[in-house]
Amino acid sequence: MKIQNLLVMFIVISVTGVGAFFSMALAADPENCLMCHKYPFIGRIGEDGLKRNYHVDEHLFLNSLHGKVECRGCHTYIKKFPHDPVTEPVNCANECHIKPPFAEKNFSHQKIIDVFNTSDHAKNADDSPLMKESKPDCKYCHLNPLYKKADEKNIDYDKTLDRCLNCHMKKGVTRAYLHMTHRLRHKTSRSSQEIVSLCARNCHGNAPLMEKLGVTGRNLEVVETYKESIHGKMTTLGSEKAADCISCHASSLIHDIYKKDNPKSSIHEDNLQATCRNCHAKINEHFVKIAVHPRIKVPHHPVLFVISNLMLRAILYGTVFGLMGLLFLETYRRKKDGIHMKLKAGSSWRIQDKGK
Amino acid sequence: MTAAIEKIAGSGQSAKAVPDDYFTYVAGVGSIPRDIYKHVKSNPLGDMPRYSAHIVIQHILIFTTFIALSASGIPLHYSDAFWAPHVIWIFGGIDTAQVIHRIAAYIMIGASVYHVLTIAGGTIKKIVKKEFDIRRTQVPLPKDLFDLIHDVNYFLGRVPYRPRMEKFMYKQKLHYLAILWGSFVLIFAGLALLYPEYVALLWPFDPSFVQDLARIMHADEAIMALIVVALWHLSNVHLLPGRFPAQWTVFTGKITREHQLEEHFLEYVRNLAEIPEEREYMRSLLAELGYAEKEGEPT
Repeated sequence: MKIQNLLVMFIVISVTGVGAFFSMALAADPENCLMCHKYPFIGRIGEDGLKRNYHVDEHLFLNSLHGKVECRGCHTYIKKFPHDPVTEPVNCANECHIKPPFAEKNFSHQKIIDVFNTSDHAKNADDSPLMKESKPDCKYCHLNPLYKKADEKNIDYDKTLDRCLNCHMKKGVTRAYLHMTHRLRHKTSRSSQEIVSLCARNCHGNAPLMEKLGVTGRNLEVVETYKESIHGKMTTLGSEKAADCISCHASSLIHDIYKKDNPKSSIHEDNLQATCRNCHAKINEHFVKIAVHPRIKVPHHPVLFVISNLMLRAILYGTVFGLMGLLFLETYRRKKDGIHMKLKAGSSWRIQDKGK
Repeated sequence: MTAAIEKIAGSGQSAKAVPDDYFTYVAGVGSIPRDIYKHVKSNPLGDMPRYSAHIVIQHILIFTTFIALSASGIPLHYSDAFWAPHVIWIFGGIDTAQVIHRIAAYIMIGASVYHVLTIAGGTIKKIVKKEFDIRRTQVPLPKDLFDLIHDVNYFLGRVPYRPRMEKFMYKQKLHYLAILWGSFVLIFAGLALLYPEYVALLWPFDPSFVQDLARIMHADEAIMALIVVALWHLSNVHLLPGRFPAQWTVFTGKITREHQLEEHFLEYVRNLAEIPEEREYMRSLLAELGYAEKEGEPT
């Protein structure tokens, strides 16, 4: 064979070989659903005219929180191949066929879903259609994010875990330890900023929608007033310590959000002290009367309104313009009188040069 | 008197505008004309004593904590502004900025207490030694108002020279009182924000009102203090003609002769009584300028 042909064959085979190596299925997909679903444009136009895309990016999915769950672990309604058109959504309460460490049963989100279904965000039978549409489902908040490996730089876990490694495997024990310390340090996976944005974006910060759903009065301004409070300002600037929505409105279950007048609510007046005490150690019954959603910019209280909008403004502008006016007048006259900017050769007044 | 009229006419002002108090007679020195400050020689670092070492230290403490407090506090108030996250980044995040703000606040409270003790102690000492003179203090007096009116008339060109003012003229008194009031409000509002549970015990009738008031007052006073300091105070000590590039008095404790004569004339007269070298200097300067003392002839 000619040398050029050999060369071409070599290149083709090696590229294909390397490509084949890298295109090996990486996600938990023993039934090879990705055979079709790996294509970016797989989809259809439904009966309602909406385009639906059925692409699954396997690299993203592998690195997500659910990366180890096989396709039919959630899409349990798929019974044959090729499968029938899908008519039902995934039920997040399904069992996952994965047993967490130290557990006796397979993992399931059922417990949290039960909590959610008794909360005020759960859809009730007697809700209006708009209300049903506005209330969030699991996927509104939980978007299967990428799994961020905890990177706790300050923990010398090599030393700490030395004894554990006598019996346990290093990888498992390190992962478990990192997970627990990370969870202990951060109250939520999402930052406070993300949580505020999630609650505010299409719902609680959308005043017209809230009004249509029957929200009245000060409850229409919750996002605005939160952002005027110290907690809001700190979370806007990226604080991890300050209270975000779920710090006060939910317990550690996170999904148990109730209205203020419900005795189960963390912001019910009987429960407020316990809620505040999560961050503020020394409090009393007067502390909880302080407004967490204060109206500062345009206060309702008449005395505060007069003070902030009239008195303080008048004092500020009066003082600043008065003082600056005096300054300009003074400088104008003194310059006219013969002063110069800098004290040079012993004097700022150049009248002394004239005599020379 | 004729010499005086000639001198004034030479500087472009009408002769008939010479009032009787153009000269200030000081025994043992001579008749000092009002515009003598244009003729003196000054050391930029200062000639006459003005501030004690305590005041110099307090000023350094106050201005460093002021910068730290306003830099860590203003981005919190204007948390939506585009520059706020960047300023907070300089502090290493909002949680660190919070700690810095509180530490600087405590240092500022300490400096304020130090100042109160200095002033109280100094005053008591002077009263005991029977040297206390209220005109040399920051206490506002009716004279300050008259001085202000006179000075504004001078700025508008309606009188030919500035008033004879005391050690602390209306400018310093206004600024000092503004700081007194501002610090008072900022410290107490700040403490209310820091210890809401204790403040709520002091005023349990409406804790929400007290906290909202504290929030508003703290922010507003801080902004006003920042604007007044940045525009008014910094202009006065850095940008005003004769002070540029900086007035060194606050670090050296001494004020320049020309500044003392122009704006604190009555204090200068006291300096003449207290400092023999100054008397000598002024006497020889007056002789040089042709205002030699005539025995027993005050004007």
